[in-house]
Amino acid sequence: MDEATAYHLNPVTPYNAGNAIVPQPLRGNIGTVDAALGFGVVSTSLAFTTVAADIQRPDYRFDVRELAVDLSLGESWDLLVGRKILKWGTGYAFNPTGVVEPQRSPSDPTDRLNQNEGRNLVSLTGFIGRSSLTAVYLNDAAYAHSTLTWGKNEIALRAYTFLAGLDLSLVAHYREGDRLELGTNTSYVIGQNLELHGELLGKRGSSMLYHAILRSDNPAQEFVSFPYAAVENDSREIFWKLLLGGQFTFDNGINVALEYYHNQEGLSLQEWKRWMNFVKFQDAVQRGAVAVDPAMATPSRLNLLWSLLTLSPRGTMRDYFFLRGAYAETDWSCEVIGFVNAADRSVALIPTLTWKATASVSVYARYTGYLGPDGSEFGSLFTTSALGLGIGVQL
Amino acid sequence: MPRSTNARTSAALLAAAMLLAGGPLSRPVLAQERSHPDPLKLLEQADVSRNGWDAFEVMTVIRNYVDGELKDEGSFDTYIKGADRTLVKFMDVDVKGQYLLMLDDAMWIYMPNTRKPIRITPLQRLLGNASNGDVARTRWAGDYDATFKGEEEVDGVQCYILDLAARSEGATYNRVTLWVRKEDSRPRKAEIYLSSGKHYKTIFYDTFGVVHGRLLLTQMTIIDRLREGSKTVMTFTGYTPKEIPEKWFNKDYLEKLR
Repeated sequence: MDEATAYHLNPVTPYNAGNAIVPQPLRGNIGTVDAALGFGVVSTSLAFTTVAADIQRPDYRFDVRELAVDLSLGESWDLLVGRKILKWGTGYAFNPTGVVEPQRSPSDPTDRLNQNEGRNLVSLTGFIGRSSLTAVYLNDAAYAHSTLTWGKNEIALRAYTFLAGLDLSLVAHYREGDRLELGTNTSYVIGQNLELHGELLGKRGSSMLYHAILRSDNPAQEFVSFPYAAVENDSREIFWKLLLGGQFTFDNGINVALEYYHNQEGLSLQEWKRWMNFVKFQDAVQRGAVAVDPAMATPSRLNLLWSLLTLSPRGTMRDYFFLRGAYAETDWSCEVIGFVNAADRSVALIPTLTWKATASVSVYARYTGYLGPDGSEFGSLFTTSALGLGIGVQL
Repeated sequence: MPRSTNARTSAALLAAAMLLAGGPLSRPVLAQERSHPDPLKLLEQADVSRNGWDAFEVMTVIRNYVDGELKDEGSFDTYIKGADRTLVKFMDVDVKGQYLLMLDDAMWIYMPNTRKPIRITPLQRLLGNASNGDVARTRWAGDYDATFKGEEEVDGVQCYILDLAARSEGATYNRVTLWVRKEDSRPRKAEIYLSSGKHYKTIFYDTFGVVHGRLLLTQMTIIDRLREGSKTVMTFTGYTPKEIPEKWFNKDYLEKLR
């Protein structure tokens, strides 16, 4: 798989004055060679990736995305040990109950460039008729520079059953030092065209780090130390993540999916505005539009960089809509994905056109456009659009 | 219409027994023995030609033609257990590792790049004019209520006509008119209608073959009435009775299948 992309930078982004704060490339290329191999009980997925913003100096990477031993313990039980991608959610773009999943982008639900990596885990699953019970231990231990660094211990449980046409799962997840999370997900088909699904995950309090500016109406501030804190750590409030969605297949084959996602840990519109005003102030300092003590310039740059940690590729605010329309013919297919920030109405639009040249070769064009008013989430990003051309070969 | 339940049942059992035993295929059974056959029994007998054993494997090849030219081809390995469990393994290189699972009315597709089974509807297309349900759904009797509509000759073959209305939500189609051969209740032709009443597809059950002593469907053709010049031919080969582990039909096991 190889994808070359041209970016159009956002001239009015407050995050990156003159493309000097976090320099963005105008062109990029990512090439991946993936091998999925299986030897009896051992399965692995290996990836060799080159990423280049500058074709003269490409960055090479080799990843063992997955490497696991999957043992069958009799008729009903399976034990899996190794590095593996597990997914538990029923949603398409967002998966609140995907507590064991690797981090991924909702704008690329199918992981077209195979960038998702497995997690280190031991999983025991029992299959009882149309039900299953899974217990997983996870630890994101990493080995680098001759040192093994252990991550936090995590335990997750999932009970799944299929009953009277309803997919139903109950999920529990605990990460060392964090909150116990409890959730459920479901899916159901009505008639011949309509599928509905939902996910709900809740926890008491939150260990999420929030910027101090979210509680201040004065944007003209400089922080001299790291301004993030887990301010909801002792909260008794329940923090919900909710997904409601469905897909409808029209008689002519067009498939439309719609999802609504709410994340209580995201920023409210008021918090977003406070944060954005703060970022704009730092941007103005960087541009020299605001007269400040020259000694402030460096703290301002640092403050701008710190503030960007608030941004999440999975959505920074609370409420989003996801829309997908897709249609496939024998040798071509098209898909349009749209993300709408329900609070500020900004939109990310991603149409993709794919031509299946042969059974094993496909060529695609993927456009990403960000639309929104000044100060909105998608309207303020580093780029306004990107056009990617890719080719995939499967052997 | 007066009905004789015993005669009807006997005739149905006889026809089913003949099919199961791989007996003479052309011997007239139903038409002369009763004037008003039970539509549900006819439907159950028609099902026999696509379901040879309680658990079996069959290879399906789907060829899609547009204006007579072969446009696309796909191979699927299908595992069927009982009346309610079907697992379809996608065999082609571009869809390697993909599976379709059907339990009762419900369907999931597993794609290796998404790493999770996704619940889908029966109408979503598999390849060409073939819906998921055309491959995974092999029994009419559980999915449809049947009404006897009369008799008609189709391409020189005397047939009974049945009107089928979807009974379960998982039925692939909303309404079907089915022609079954008078001589042995094998399906001959089906006309598929959408809930809007639009004529969607016509299916011809072309050829049957004797496999392990049983008469089973080996080819059917789907004509798409909404897409001019479009035709899909499904070929079934390699029917094999097989012990299939129960956990293969658990949604959570799909990612473990190779």
